[in-house]
Amino acid sequence: MTEPEPAAQPPLAGVRVVDFTWIVAGPTCTRLLGDLGAEVIRVENEQTLDSIRFGRPHPGGFDPPNSSAMFNWLDRSKRSITVNARHPDGLDLIKRLIRVSDVVVENYSSRVFESWGLSYDEQRDENPQIIYTSLSGFGHSGPQRDYSTWGPTAQALSGLTAMSGLPDAPEPAGWGYSYLDHMAGFTAAAAIVAALHHRRETGQGQWIDLSQVETGMALTGPATLDFTVNGRRYRDTGNPPGNRAVWPQAVPHNTYPTAGHDNWIMISCTSDAEWEAFCAVSDHPHWRSDARFATLPSRLRHQDELDELIGAWTAGQDGRALMRRLQDADVPSGVVQNGVDLVVHDPQMQAREWTVAREHPVIGEHLTDGLQLRFSRTPAHRDRPGPVLGEANSYVFGELLRLSGERIAELTANGALG
Amino acid sequence: MTDSRGALDGVRVLDCSDPKGHFAGKLLAGLGADVIKIEPPGGDIGRRTGPFLDDQPGPERSLYWWHYAAGKRSVALDLHAEDGIELFLQLAERADVVLETWQPGRGRPLDPVALADHLPQLVVLSLTPFGQTGPWRDFAWSDAVGLALGGPMGSCGYDSIPAAPPIRPTEHHASHIAGYFAATGVCAALYERQQSGLGQHLDVSMHECMGFTIESSAPWALYERHPLIRQAGRHAGPQPTEPWQYPTADGRLINIFGMPRSEASWLALVAFIQSKGMGANLSDLELLDGRKRQLGLSQPTVKMMLADIAEFIAAHDAEEIYAGAQAAGAAWSIVRTPDECLADEHWRARGFFVEIEHEEQERTVTFPGAPYVLSETPWSHGRRAPLLGEHTAEIVCGELGLSSEELGALVAAGVAQ
Repeated sequence: MTEPEPAAQPPLAGVRVVDFTWIVAGPTCTRLLGDLGAEVIRVENEQTLDSIRFGRPHPGGFDPPNSSAMFNWLDRSKRSITVNARHPDGLDLIKRLIRVSDVVVENYSSRVFESWGLSYDEQRDENPQIIYTSLSGFGHSGPQRDYSTWGPTAQALSGLTAMSGLPDAPEPAGWGYSYLDHMAGFTAAAAIVAALHHRRETGQGQWIDLSQVETGMALTGPATLDFTVNGRRYRDTGNPPGNRAVWPQAVPHNTYPTAGHDNWIMISCTSDAEWEAFCAVSDHPHWRSDARFATLPSRLRHQDELDELIGAWTAGQDGRALMRRLQDADVPSGVVQNGVDLVVHDPQMQAREWTVAREHPVIGEHLTDGLQLRFSRTPAHRDRPGPVLGEANSYVFGELLRLSGERIAELTANGALG
Repeated sequence: MTDSRGALDGVRVLDCSDPKGHFAGKLLAGLGADVIKIEPPGGDIGRRTGPFLDDQPGPERSLYWWHYAAGKRSVALDLHAEDGIELFLQLAERADVVLETWQPGRGRPLDPVALADHLPQLVVLSLTPFGQTGPWRDFAWSDAVGLALGGPMGSCGYDSIPAAPPIRPTEHHASHIAGYFAATGVCAALYERQQSGLGQHLDVSMHECMGFTIESSAPWALYERHPLIRQAGRHAGPQPTEPWQYPTADGRLINIFGMPRSEASWLALVAFIQSKGMGANLSDLELLDGRKRQLGLSQPTVKMMLADIAEFIAAHDAEEIYAGAQAAGAAWSIVRTPDECLADEHWRARGFFVEIEHEEQERTVTFPGAPYVLSETPWSHGRRAPLLGEHTAEIVCGELGLSSEELGALVAAGVAQ
């Protein structure tokens, strides 16, 4: 046997992030950076806490700021300090922290950082190589830079809400959560790691200015081009299409009811071969020889009838057993899972240990969810729970910034810390 | 071409992905990497995905392809032929990253882990529906199946339409979500390689990426095993909440996303509505208390408030409501379609939409542009999407030293194009 190699550091080991984020978009970004091994220091203030610290559920009882499962889920892999940026001594400490850090991330409205004296130029005075990331609704330039968004606002403005729903319904279904909070956070994470790569090559820092609405519009390429090239407006063809396919064309492609309350299976045959396999495994092999369903163009014309037939066949069947039967025949299909299904009923997630038990000093033992990036040599980690408010004060102010205990007491008394 | 460099300048990516990885490759190209799309001689499936130029299909007419392949180069090689895989391995020796989406157990041309072992400097990223292991790893898949199994779709749908199914948002979002993870993973592995000199293999399961993209469904499931109720135009929740989408006089919808939290912003919003002669009930003193405006608690004050707001919205045009509410500090929005976004002066001022020359069509095409603005290493949309095999000779002959006769023989044998 050879000696085991020493455990490799995660990929972003040695990177320090000063994290001014709140709600969901910014924290999504910094959770990912923390999982990848960056030291993420949340800058918090007792007077203006992140409202996610109050977010439900509170599994051990409502006892903020450290009892929120939502916060612990979203803000794991981070540290927490408490300091008041609007106090001159507090601002001074933040600037000193920026001097010994690599990345600053914030998702305030576009004028907040400027008003604190932390514009990009002012940050660069402290640390010329800093990578500053501002994540706002509309970006820090343009005539509407003072407008604000939350996830659903941005989804509506970018076109994404309108692209999700049943045709002819009075309103689109849109997204049942802040999709663009997550996606803007992921965008920020990708840009920050790319900027770190560039800095390691050149020594150059930069300012990453993100607009949440732009991150959404960047996801509408084909629909936008159908307009700019073909002149077709999104609603001209009866969109949104429910659960039917837009492109690539595919029939059947829909949700069908299965046994029990509100259970559904998605079936999508993306080729004639998959359609033939579907017919063979269904209890209705004659569908394959039915002229109405023989080719994709004919199936497109008779989609209403086909969906009705398939729905009548699936109704009453056990969804997971049906999925297995279809999958055994190589037909793309899957039951519609909610969060509870992912945690409790998903054998794939279980086989890959998507959830693991971890300890939190206030909440106690709980499940934390997956690492999405599985590196063979430098694994990411998920061992640090969401930080108790201010848990890193002595580490950051004492060890990193080398303040004496006396000075920390003074700054706490004068309101700069806390 | 601009003379500024990208964040991934000098990084070469061999992109063997199918639609699962088209967005991941586009992100890497946008960050400045030299992304070489390895497609089969018949053309990538994306070339057969609509919409199409003038609605006429054809390998160079897919607008899907124009968008997702922009800025990449195209080398057409059959990786299931011995000569094709040999050339690919030679290219891999000169590359920094291989991005692949081959599902294990489905006849993939090579084993990505073995490739990473064979070339220790290489970053090999496998982006697959369920990862390299587990009972579902070979499942037949489509983007919609991915969104159904992965969780996002389970939160989207209607409370306002009885017995409506969960709804899958359109436009390849399983690939969008996973694409960001793939791009971040590649960048992180390259960053680490700058120090260690070593590449590695990344196993990315799209299913797991989606599992982190369901917001509050996750903590409610992880801690309470509590499913959420789907609601149109707003967050799924443990209990029903009041609607957020209201029709306007000009036939559009406004999403009100709750109410202003600060008193100043609330008063400004009330002043805006009352300046139009409506919203008399909004002066109710109870509504000065932010808790009395909080949605989701079935409060009578909220019922009264929303009735006035709905009446105001129904009597005015969307753009006027949007501008007035935002000026008051309320994060209201118009529910726009993608074509409607192009008319907004703000995105024009920020240069979001870009014009790209498509010389074969003798036209300039407007694309959605950068998802981020990097001050020193700007996003590069790059050249128009490559023609099928446009760069095969340039790379196979120019870099690997094949003669044009040798390439001709490979083309005749259907191994290259």
